[in-house]
Amino acid sequence: MVKLKINNTDYEAPEGLTILDVARSAGFNIPTLCHKEGLPHYSSCMVCMVKDNRTNSFVPSCSALIQEGMDIDISGEEVISLRRKAIELLLSEHRAECEAPCKVVCPAGYNIPLMNRLIIAKDFDAALKLSLSEHGSSEILCAKCPGYCENACRRKKVDIPVSIRNMQLFISQRINQDKPVQDVADQHHNNDTVIETGPKKRKLSKLFTSHIGRLEETELLEWLKECSGKGIRFREISDFNSAAGESESCMHCDCRAADDCRLKDLAEEFSIKDPRGKLVNSPIVKKINHNTGLIFENAKCIKCGLCVRLCEDSKEEPALCFIRRGFVSIISEPLTEEFDNILKTKSKEVIEICPTGALSQLK
Amino acid sequence: MKDGETKILTNECDCDQTAVDDITAVVNEVVELTGREPEKVILILQEVQKRLNYLPLEALKHICKVTEITPGQISGVSTFYSQFRHIPAGKHTVKICSGTACHVKGAPLISDAFKRVLKIDNTRSSSPDNLFSIEEVACLGCCTLAPVVQIDGKTYGHVKPTQAEEIIKNFLNVGNKSVSHHDTDNKEDIDAEIRIGLGSCCVAGGSKDILDEIVDIKERYDLNIRLKPVGCVGVCNQTPLLEIVTRENIHSRYTKVSKHQVEEILLKHIRPRAINKRIKHNIYDLVDTFLSDDMLTSPVNIPGELREKYLNNFLSYQVHLATSNSGVLSPDSYEEYCLSGGFEALNQCLNRFDQNTIVDIITESGLRGRGGAGFSTGEKWRISMLANGDSKYVVCNGDEGDPGAFMDRMLLESFPYRVIEGMIIAAYATGAKEGIFYIRAEYPLAVTRVRKAMKQCYEKSILGDRVSGTGFSFNIKIFEGAGAFVCGEETALISSLEGKRGTPHLRPPYPAVKGFRGQPTLVSNVETLSLIPWIITNGAEAFKSIGSGKSKGTKVFALAGKISKGGLIEVPMGITIREIVEKIGDGVAEGRKFKAVQIGGPSGGCIPASEADTPVDYEELTKMGAMMGSGGMVVLDDTDCMVDMAKYFLTFSHKQSCGKCTFCRIGTKQMLNIIIRLSEGKAALSDIVELENLCKSVKDGSLCGLGKTSPNPVLTGLRYFREEYEAHTRGFCPAKKCRNLIRYIVTDDCTGCTKCSQECPVNAIPFNPYEKHEIDNQLCTKCDNCRIVCPENAVEIINING
Repeated sequence: MVKLKINNTDYEAPEGLTILDVARSAGFNIPTLCHKEGLPHYSSCMVCMVKDNRTNSFVPSCSALIQEGMDIDISGEEVISLRRKAIELLLSEHRAECEAPCKVVCPAGYNIPLMNRLIIAKDFDAALKLSLSEHGSSEILCAKCPGYCENACRRKKVDIPVSIRNMQLFISQRINQDKPVQDVADQHHNNDTVIETGPKKRKLSKLFTSHIGRLEETELLEWLKECSGKGIRFREISDFNSAAGESESCMHCDCRAADDCRLKDLAEEFSIKDPRGKLVNSPIVKKINHNTGLIFENAKCIKCGLCVRLCEDSKEEPALCFIRRGFVSIISEPLTEEFDNILKTKSKEVIEICPTGALSQLK
Repeated sequence: MKDGETKILTNECDCDQTAVDDITAVVNEVVELTGREPEKVILILQEVQKRLNYLPLEALKHICKVTEITPGQISGVSTFYSQFRHIPAGKHTVKICSGTACHVKGAPLISDAFKRVLKIDNTRSSSPDNLFSIEEVACLGCCTLAPVVQIDGKTYGHVKPTQAEEIIKNFLNVGNKSVSHHDTDNKEDIDAEIRIGLGSCCVAGGSKDILDEIVDIKERYDLNIRLKPVGCVGVCNQTPLLEIVTRENIHSRYTKVSKHQVEEILLKHIRPRAINKRIKHNIYDLVDTFLSDDMLTSPVNIPGELREKYLNNFLSYQVHLATSNSGVLSPDSYEEYCLSGGFEALNQCLNRFDQNTIVDIITESGLRGRGGAGFSTGEKWRISMLANGDSKYVVCNGDEGDPGAFMDRMLLESFPYRVIEGMIIAAYATGAKEGIFYIRAEYPLAVTRVRKAMKQCYEKSILGDRVSGTGFSFNIKIFEGAGAFVCGEETALISSLEGKRGTPHLRPPYPAVKGFRGQPTLVSNVETLSLIPWIITNGAEAFKSIGSGKSKGTKVFALAGKISKGGLIEVPMGITIREIVEKIGDGVAEGRKFKAVQIGGPSGGCIPASEADTPVDYEELTKMGAMMGSGGMVVLDDTDCMVDMAKYFLTFSHKQSCGKCTFCRIGTKQMLNIIIRLSEGKAALSDIVELENLCKSVKDGSLCGLGKTSPNPVLTGLRYFREEYEAHTRGFCPAKKCRNLIRYIVTDDCTGCTKCSQECPVNAIPFNPYEKHEIDNQLCTKCDNCRIVCPENAVEIINING
């Protein structure tokens, strides 16, 4: 048995355990990103840093074995400061676009990309319910809106913006048959109409908000990859087919893990703002596995290696691996494989274990 | 080629692609030789690349097919190590050394020059005729000949940017003839023995040509002599070095010998065959007479006893333990090593000492790891000795990656038997049965010499099942590093031995307890091992009596940079930096002002001239913010910019980072960005504050030594040269080094000779004979050609901002 101190309290634990093991059993809260019970530790994110007062040095608690006489500081100022720095550094190369531009500028706060995805799946009821629940009102407000969303829509750079308002109005009209449709075109002259901004459900606490970036030319092509459909555009939405068709032109600029992102959670916990001037370590790419629907975005990856450790690579079922070295190292399919052929059976698991939105599911 | 992009060959590429059948055949052959286990991946990749020039995708696929290696493993490993390339290189690779000494002597300009001459830009990886590719390598280990360029096996030293074209022409004409070893016959009855140093540096200095000339003269005059190639003497700046030992046992040394002097020199000492006496060979004799090289008078006319003060100093301050018998022993000769006392220490251990006794001696001696960290060697041995394991290992860490350090290379090339002996003793003491020589692939001569020595050792039963006739068995294999500085860290080294990416892990567990294949593994530096025989033979007290404080014994340093006389020196710990620079190195070259000494490579720091009385000692150097490191010592003068040096080292750390932990992977990039902006005059004082904070975080938060020490060059720079950093925030580079902040101008001393105009690669100087020339700033790339060729020293560098 090994005797050690954590935050000035004495503990005793069997040899071979890590500081993290002991601390968590004792009820201490140490954040982690690249650690997962049951998987070999990797010590990449360095968010679990603690200080050993004996040696005045900092160690990652997930892989630091407990030693006799250790005097561990888990929550002192220096430790917190170093943890913050780790998160800041991770954010500085992380393309944190939690919310799409259209959603951010929408006065009603509609989750437009999600709505589009629901329409693609032809689940029109859900799409409508989603929008109504966002604002807590009983009718879609797009009729009175000048359409900031369409102005901010990135599809504009390719051809024309997604016809968001018309889609919303069409669905709401079809489902609430008795309400008359007001064509959006009429409303352009009504500039003094003010929409009641902010859905009542939005939390009042300070959230992590990401900067909205511009997409470069090459990046546009990557984002277009998700657009299924034949590129036929519909300005007017007159039936469910044209609605479904138009929704396919959405580029899904949002992050599908926005509500389920451990990096975002940590940033909020430590009140860290999204830094400007992001580092780009390799060309931004969106890889899509057309067989399983797995999406990988390297711009969001924090190189924690959980996906690699989770699925042992084999010839039968190639998995993800690290390639290159240093700052330019990335997660990728093996050089000898196509992205369409990897992780035939384990896609769901890697998506779940990914701490950010780097791995997500199409549809 | 953009940094960081793994280019894979596609069908659209227009270069020669190897046929798939040939690829499969080669892979099958290689796997047959090497084996199928995942551990063997690096060996397989190295061999396949050797045969195919690169690693085609088909080869990677087929390797996975016929071995246990998985697609993920082969992708991860083949893209991690710098040695491997996925697209073909030109027929010949022009390796441009970007080590510290070479950088300080202008390597970036050399690189630009070769790129221009070979017409290689960012869009191609080889010259249009596919004959040449350029590779910037971390360090070739020929620092005293900086700047160094190596094409295939041929090394060129003291390269000037203006010589790029000439060198390419020379290479194509003369080609790359390997060193032929003459006269390995052991005739007893000779008039004289001619010793010539043939280490990598010596060869680059022209020693091969001298050797050829000697052979020629010997044949012409029928001289009764024996030619003996010897190992490194360390006096690198005086090569080619020739030593003649006559049958009367008179030693005469000649320095900086040129080809036309050979005939004169030889004939002075040796008469064409007539006398027939025996030579008493005393190879324990150290040379005490030198003849200085005087270009005006023939060297043979200078009396033998005349001592040149500097040469005397160069050697008299040194204490040769690891390098004892330097310049006397032929590196390949087992017999000579034995005759000079070799393997006596081993036999003592095997016959008289038990494990505990040996470990006690080493611990008592105070020997500390010479790789840089300085951990007590004896303690490490004890941990390994006491650890439990069915099969223990000893690894000799020859992955000397510090740019500016080449001590280990010299020790392996010149004293392979000594290192082997140290290894066997270590194995015996700790209970290891297998050893591994981990040598950088950039040191092919070292690999060759060690391989030859090992072969002899096996033949003489020094290695194998019954070492020296005892029951102790020990076998060694050689593993060539695949090009990753981080693999000098022991856990990363072990990772690469296991066929994985070279990423370190936290210690404990220590490799001495749980290392290679989970077994106790003693990882030891080359220099540390080469000191073991001396300590065993002479005792712990003798070793302890040399040195100072807690730093006992000697240390080998590679003195290079802006020093007059650079070379490899072995000095007692505690000697001051001033003594090394002024007495041994004869001061700063070309009469410039001594500014600082960079010690410890990218992990170390700069000690300013004002602190030159700092003794070379582990603790003292750490107090100053630097680190002993592996022994690279680069001298800087007033034309070296501390911001530029920090940029250089941060670039190195950034490129060599394994990428695992957040602080090193992203932190070094952030630090580098700030330093680059500083060097371009685009940073503010607040940036310096941010830089300092980043340095502290990276130092605290990194997982391994590479990351933790990567901020040191910046931290020491800020500690001792803060004004210089702050000057850059005002757009001013005091040393006139940072290209964005300087301008080249022609002064009134110009005679109108047009040489600068002719040499300017971008036509920035109009051809105006007899007129004062002007440099067009818009076109000028600051390549330095004009300043080098101007015979009137009429080209000056000035600061743009006052």
